[in-house]
Amino acid sequence: MTLRLNTDLASGLFGLLFAALLWFPREGMGRLSIIFPRAILVITVVISLALIIKAFTKPAAREVHIEGSMRRLAVMVVVLFAWWYAIGLLGFLLATVIVFFGLVWYLARIEGPVPARRLAQWVPIVAVLIGVFYLAFTQVLNVRLPSGIWS
Amino acid sequence: MKLATTRWVGSLSMLAALGMPGIAFAEYPEQPITYTIPFDPGGESDVTARFQEPHLEEILGVDVNVNHRPGGGGAVGWSEFQNNAEPTGYEMIGVNIPHIIAQPIMRENAGYETDNWKIVTFFHTTPNALIVPKDSPFESLDDLVQYAKENPQAVTLGGSGTFSANHLGALRLEREADIDVTYIPFTGTGPLPAAVQGGHVSGIFNYSMLGVQMQDNARVLAVASEERVPALPDVPTFKELGYDIVGGAYRGVAVPKDTPDEIVNKLEEAFAQTNQRIAEKQEPLGFVMTDITDEEVDKIIQQLKSAYQPILEEAKANQ
Amino acid sequence: MDMLLEALLSILTLEGLVTILAGVTAGLFIGALPGLTATMALAVLLPFTFTMSPLQGLMALGAVYMGAIYGGAFTAILINTPGTPSSIATTFDGYPMARQGRAYEALAAATIASVVGGIVGVTFLLLLAPPLARMAVVFGPAEMFWVAMLGLTLVASLSSGSLLKGLLGGCIGMLLSTIGVSPIGGETRFIFGMPALQGGIELIVALIGLFVIPELISMAAQGRGALPESGKLQGGAGSAVMRMGKHVFSKPINLIRSCIIGQIIAIIPGAGGNVTSLVAYNEARRFSKDPASFGKGNVDGVIASESSNNVMVAGSMVPLLTLGIPGAPPDAIILGVLLMHGLRPGLDLFTQTGVLTNGFILSMGFAALFLLPVGLMGGRLIHRIVVKTPFYFLLPSIAMVTILGTYALRNSMVDVFIMLLLGTVGYFLRLIGIQAAPIVLGMILGVIAEKGYVQTMLAAVVDPIPWLRLVSNPLSIVLACLVVLSVATTLLPGWLERSGRMAKVDRDEEQSP
Repeated sequence: MTLRLNTDLASGLFGLLFAALLWFPREGMGRLSIIFPRAILVITVVISLALIIKAFTKPAAREVHIEGSMRRLAVMVVVLFAWWYAIGLLGFLLATVIVFFGLVWYLARIEGPVPARRLAQWVPIVAVLIGVFYLAFTQVLNVRLPSGIWS
Repeated sequence: MKLATTRWVGSLSMLAALGMPGIAFAEYPEQPITYTIPFDPGGESDVTARFQEPHLEEILGVDVNVNHRPGGGGAVGWSEFQNNAEPTGYEMIGVNIPHIIAQPIMRENAGYETDNWKIVTFFHTTPNALIVPKDSPFESLDDLVQYAKENPQAVTLGGSGTFSANHLGALRLEREADIDVTYIPFTGTGPLPAAVQGGHVSGIFNYSMLGVQMQDNARVLAVASEERVPALPDVPTFKELGYDIVGGAYRGVAVPKDTPDEIVNKLEEAFAQTNQRIAEKQEPLGFVMTDITDEEVDKIIQQLKSAYQPILEEAKANQ
Repeated sequence: MDMLLEALLSILTLEGLVTILAGVTAGLFIGALPGLTATMALAVLLPFTFTMSPLQGLMALGAVYMGAIYGGAFTAILINTPGTPSSIATTFDGYPMARQGRAYEALAAATIASVVGGIVGVTFLLLLAPPLARMAVVFGPAEMFWVAMLGLTLVASLSSGSLLKGLLGGCIGMLLSTIGVSPIGGETRFIFGMPALQGGIELIVALIGLFVIPELISMAAQGRGALPESGKLQGGAGSAVMRMGKHVFSKPINLIRSCIIGQIIAIIPGAGGNVTSLVAYNEARRFSKDPASFGKGNVDGVIASESSNNVMVAGSMVPLLTLGIPGAPPDAIILGVLLMHGLRPGLDLFTQTGVLTNGFILSMGFAALFLLPVGLMGGRLIHRIVVKTPFYFLLPSIAMVTILGTYALRNSMVDVFIMLLLGTVGYFLRLIGIQAAPIVLGMILGVIAEKGYVQTMLAAVVDPIPWLRLVSNPLSIVLACLVVLSVATTLLPGWLERSGRMAKVDRDEEQSP
């Protein structure tokens, strides 16, 4: 997919936005804490303005090219955040089993329909994949993974 | 959301515990205990926990898992612990003075309170030590004080962190000796040996351990303990030299506030025994082993709080 | 010399060699998992060494350290994720190579470079420790400020495309590094009322987010894996290794330069492996006859990065063993172990307990040698797994490992959220031409620059013109001149070329990927 977008303008605006986000909470900080971030904030604003000026005088590429399906891109982003939320709610193991399996199914469908029999065949593979990493982290590396409501 | 759920489960298990106290506590501990260190691996707190781990496991008869939750000079781990940990005795966290006193005073929202838990014990302290380079013109503390009186702000003292034990030590020296020095915070103890040996600062305020470690390359002018530190028998205390400065870092462990007394006592005992076993290894490094429990904990915290509060508030106003 | 021989004999036992082999293997796998750093590998495996004799314990840890730093290269090459921060620069050319189906070549080159780097580091440590150690203490706050500035000139070469966008990325990175507790002022900054943000944004969290998540998102969008499945090796694995070996040693200048850079930076306390590999990569590019091919799969980039970061392993022990100054974060743990066994850093370590110390140093050399078989075999295994696994299994697996690794770093779900957020934003920034590399560089160097600058200003509080302290001694003046020189040599060719045909060059640049 190709979007019409002046990338210089977009970068400049993003820089200004980011600087503004940090510019306002800077009040009330001691001299030693603010001296460095303030200098960088000023530089950020200058660079952003330069980019915006460049956007109107001699812009670089005016289009952005995204390979592949926009819908799958959006779904992937949503799935990642949903996974994070589910871990807090259901605990790592359950959340990962559900999201992992769902994601495998969703991605495999790109290549063609997935019959139920194939799905069933994948159950042990997914179980082993998750099990190995789960055990490696909890048993060998002694990491206490979130257990959600089951704690 | 998550918080509410854990609270709910927590109170449920409390109810269960109240219902059948005999069964619930008779066999504590029966599952692995999590021992959280709110600092990066490799620091003094972590090294101590590693020392303790095998002994605690032997004494308590269950696994003790040390894990790390670093960030914000300990504050991230502490705030999470006070919000989420359950009073079952299976979760404990390392706590340090003066951090837990200074951060809630100095920060708008440190996320935790100095008193909102049950401190099991403070198992050791590391007194502050004033260390200068080997080729420094300051042969004694008096030399340094003298020079600082004549040249305000010219003496630079490095140390680990801001509003840390080191920083508070330097501020107290300023008050006691009526001098004006410049304190330069470094991140952690790691960069300090280089700062001393390279002469980037006039001296450093750090812990007795570094004094022991750097015996060959530097000179320790004084230590801030009541009595001389066993590992540094030739170094005078500030008190001997006429400055009433006693302080440093205390390290200990805490459990959530409502943890039953039986469990706390059991842990106290385990840590006391562990201390005896590891003293042989830790004392030569410059640690001073202690066993501060129960009312003594509150006493020390109150005492240090009233000592540090005015200094901290003045420092905050000056910033 | 007797001592060296005795030390050699004491590690050349079956037990000793097995310890090193096990250490290297364990380190390699931990290092290869994104989020699990060399520091963590050492901390996790530390308790196992308590039951061992001091020498055996140190041998195991040295081997783990060596293995972990090398292991980072695997994921860097295969899934564009530096397993440890010291292999950031390995991704720049390693991943493009993998996408061209040359993954195993890149792995072989990385392995050979790591082995050489490891051995060179050990040699420096054995022969030159005392004189080199003196260098460690000359870097004070002002010097560190200039070192950071020198590092920032890398932005110019890392920002493929527009320099302005690269600089903007660098600034964003530096600003991200200021979130949390201020290193000098001690106050919380930019935490927006959330206590969890007091911990700031950990470099590795940002690293994983910015490098891996955009890759996952675009893999999902395109509906296929990033590596070609037909990654057939020309003439088998053996010939790839031979070819790479020939390539590495036939043009040794790159290797020698990278090793020397690695050693010098390893000595500077607080700079560490992540800076070494970036600087070595940049210099390899600067001196190359074909700088434009860097970033598109030039194996010399991989060699520069991986050799320099493995020099760092033994190299950073120089200030540690002689002066007790940890040159890189994992060294702090080694220092703890030394102290635990009653060993105090200093020259005594080389004389009184010389057998132990030399044994430790030599064992790191053996660990480096063991990287060759372990790395080539392990590399082949991991490579096959990554290439053969259907992408619909690979993608969720990578996502799971990144989540696990990010969480395990500080046991924090907040970090996982930050990782995902940075990754998603990073994907869109990449689309408009702001790359991940300058952002990460800004994060690494922002912290060093801030500490150096503010500490210098604090120390200069009595001076009439405080900022003059920044250039008040010979070394800082030299470093400042190097900064100017570096900026000039990077920018001048571009400017000369541009004058006259500005518009055309501009368009050409943007088209390069």
